[in-house]
Amino acid sequence: MKGTRPVPTRPGDPAAGASARLRAQAEAAAAALPALMLSAERLAAALQPGAHGLRRAGQGEDFWQYRAAAPGDSMRQIDWRRSARSDATFVRERELHTAQSAILWVAGTPGMDWTGDPSRPTKRARAELLALALALVLLRGGEKVGTSGAVPQAGRAQADRIAHDLLDRRAGEALELPPAADLRPLRRMVLIGDFLTDPAPVAAYLSAAAAQGIGGAVLQVLDPVEEGFPFSGAVRFRGVGGALRHDTRNAGALRELYLARLDAQRQALDRAATAAGWRFGTHDTGLPPGQALMWLHGVLAG
Amino acid sequence: MLTLGPLGFAAPWVLAALIALPVLWLLLRAVPPAMREVTFPGTVLLVGLADPAPIARRTPWWLLALRLVAIAALVVGLAGPAWRPVADETPPGPLLVVVDAGWSAAPGWEAARARALAALDQAAAGAHPAALLIADGRTGQGAALPFQPAARHAARLRGAEPQPWATRYPADPATVLDGAPDRFATLWISDGVEHPGGPGLLAALAARGPVTVVPQAAPVRSLELQPGREPVLVLRSTAPAPLPAIQAIGPDPQGTPRTLARLTPPDPAVTNGIAEATLPIDLPSELRNRVTRFAVEGDASAGAVVLADDRIRRRKVAIAGDTRSTEGQALLSPLHYLRQALAPRADLVEGTLAEVLPAAPDVIVIADQPLDPDQPALSEWIDRGGVLIRFAGPRMAASDMLDLDPLLPVRLRPGGRDIGGALSWGDPREIAPFAADGPFAGLAPPADVTVRAQLMAEPDPDLAARTIARLSDGTPLVTRDAIGRGQLVLFHTAANAEWSSLPLSGLFLAMLERLIQGAPGLDAATGAPAPDVPGAQAGEQPFWSAETVLDGFGRAAPPADDLPPVAAADMGAGPAPGVPAGVYVAGEQRFALNAGGPLAPAAWPGAVVEQPGRPRGTELRGWLLAVAAALLAADAVASAMIAGGRRGRGVVAA
Repeated sequence: MKGTRPVPTRPGDPAAGASARLRAQAEAAAAALPALMLSAERLAAALQPGAHGLRRAGQGEDFWQYRAAAPGDSMRQIDWRRSARSDATFVRERELHTAQSAILWVAGTPGMDWTGDPSRPTKRARAELLALALALVLLRGGEKVGTSGAVPQAGRAQADRIAHDLLDRRAGEALELPPAADLRPLRRMVLIGDFLTDPAPVAAYLSAAAAQGIGGAVLQVLDPVEEGFPFSGAVRFRGVGGALRHDTRNAGALRELYLARLDAQRQALDRAATAAGWRFGTHDTGLPPGQALMWLHGVLAG
Repeated sequence: MLTLGPLGFAAPWVLAALIALPVLWLLLRAVPPAMREVTFPGTVLLVGLADPAPIARRTPWWLLALRLVAIAALVVGLAGPAWRPVADETPPGPLLVVVDAGWSAAPGWEAARARALAALDQAAAGAHPAALLIADGRTGQGAALPFQPAARHAARLRGAEPQPWATRYPADPATVLDGAPDRFATLWISDGVEHPGGPGLLAALAARGPVTVVPQAAPVRSLELQPGREPVLVLRSTAPAPLPAIQAIGPDPQGTPRTLARLTPPDPAVTNGIAEATLPIDLPSELRNRVTRFAVEGDASAGAVVLADDRIRRRKVAIAGDTRSTEGQALLSPLHYLRQALAPRADLVEGTLAEVLPAAPDVIVIADQPLDPDQPALSEWIDRGGVLIRFAGPRMAASDMLDLDPLLPVRLRPGGRDIGGALSWGDPREIAPFAADGPFAGLAPPADVTVRAQLMAEPDPDLAARTIARLSDGTPLVTRDAIGRGQLVLFHTAANAEWSSLPLSGLFLAMLERLIQGAPGLDAATGAPAPDVPGAQAGEQPFWSAETVLDGFGRAAPPADDLPPVAAADMGAGPAPGVPAGVYVAGEQRFALNAGGPLAPAAWPGAVVEQPGRPRGTELRGWLLAVAAALLAADAVASAMIAGGRRGRGVVAA
């Protein structure tokens, strides 16, 4: 899942540039998609969603109970096969299924395309894998799942669309948070990113979501290098894709300060999430993704 | 020599490098350690953080000081410092400068001349009169040395060169010092080798004032050829260090002079301070016969060069004849005596004529064998420079084809002559003294060598010119004729003891040796007659003239036009003034006069010996260089420790 940076375009030739970019993206997505789907499916297979019914009659697919037809039931509701075995007429009721939908979001900040070790996936790859695996689990549980800006739908075919959307959005804007238009009532949201920048916008977004009754989870995906800061000596740090720069003569002595800042950042995010009724979790790309997927699923199911 | 208080510097200009130290200080201090560049998304969290324990951007001052001290010690050490040096000063007053100028002074000649010039300059600066004695055997002989203003001698000294003979001191020091001031100082630039008259001169000089001796720093080496059946080279050196190799130089097959071989001397035997090694000339004949000179590698002096003459050449001699006829009667075979005479002196080839010719010998000896009229191969071989030596004998005497034999120097009368036999009147004849210009010049025929039978030559106008040895009655014993570049020699008597007692005598060996050594060699450029030590015997040519002479540095050159011929008696005494080392020619003979000979280290009782090339005093160079090395080692260790300390604090991230 590497090498999916946008093809640079020539400013003087927008049409050709756009077409070339589109083709490059399509090729990259086509190349990455089966691998993403495969690993996400393997990951999702490990997670067996439990029964999800609401234990009362309602709109759903599973059989719930037969009851005697009452005035007001339409003829079409009567289960004639059951009614034929007795004198009374029966109505076949189904179990009520919730129609909740989940929106999955993977932050597009440039830092997500980074890994501290070529043997490890980038943070974005890991985040996409988690998002897609979660989508598969949720779809298997009958939930409606979608990415930002798309209509959440149920069904196995939705998984392919989500995968396409995730890969497509790689070329999109470098947004850390989904647009506010995604905030609709009775939704759940999963935000996956590195969230290393100022936590205030995240807190504001979460409180706006809470105002609409949206719950969800915030998962911070970090590389072990970002977690451990194993630097020493004279180092010039350079942010990914930005002009951000920091020089030090003794990086080893900076570790404590860095870790303290990272901790403060996480605490701020945790506070914001708790205040909004959300959950905040972290994930290390050096660890297997199953745990994080479990956690995400637990958060959504709970 | 620069003196700063008690410190003296032999090479003070090296100290100029010290001005680079401040620059070095700035450079070493200003260079920051290289910064690694790392892309790191967490940079956003780092922005604004200050280094809590900043590592010094600069090398620690003590490490810097260590390096600077090390380099300063190196620079000062290279400047040759000495603690309380004693300046090379001669005491004020009249000065006599003695410069040894034989070949043994050549290795250190430039230094010796510079030292003498410095002394003369010093005397000139002090306005002291000075005298210059160049001990080359030509100046100051029998005349008083003039004490003049010192500047007048400088030009003569600059023009002086070491001579291709040994250093010679005035025979009578008193005559030389006649007219000198009562007291004067002497500076003796010596070559370090004892020469005749040296102690006497030293005593005479020491009686008149202090004598400072500057011995030569370079070792003196001499190379000598000891002739004999197997000539060997003797290499002597005043330095016991490993002896250098000997180069054998001669024309290569294209005629270009080059080093044909290198002879490595064996471990020398050191006696009385002189290392001496004997080297056999262990070379193939083909190579050895081309050698024109042997030279000590890396030594430029006339004594380290041995010019090769025919004493070094080794001839290839073929004995052609029919060996079957005399089987079982070795002492009667004519070839027996030839074989005995030639085997130690030459590379011997035996066989029939057709067999030996392809071996391209220098000389072919045929004993008592008439030759067929048609001998194209043999004739061509003689034409190319071969020497055919034939002996008469009963078979030749009985041959009726002698008239048709083309390879005889004179026409022979058939039948031969029998003297002292039962049917003859006369007594066996002795051999007449040899002509002084012939190839046998210098050989003395013993009285007991007699000839009983010979082949007679037909009277001929050329007969006298072709005869190179005759009997006491004037009849030819040996005749010779030149054909092309080769020679045809006929002994008119037999090669065994049947006809004469000549083969039993040492003269037979000497005559054969002369003839063989005088063989020009096949296709050789020069005809080289036989040499011997000149002046040893009477009856030789009285004068020798130089063909090539060496200068004091061992370089060969044609002789000067005004070099007079050398009396034969003077040649035996070795090189001398007027008799430079070189190759001399007298008539048919060629002789190489070489300068090298025995060495003895000189002793200077009562004189101050100055160590050359080094200011006296306590030398500090070695100590300072050792300190510099130790400091640099400490610097390496300290740098490694600092670097290791930095690295030890954490794993460097990828």
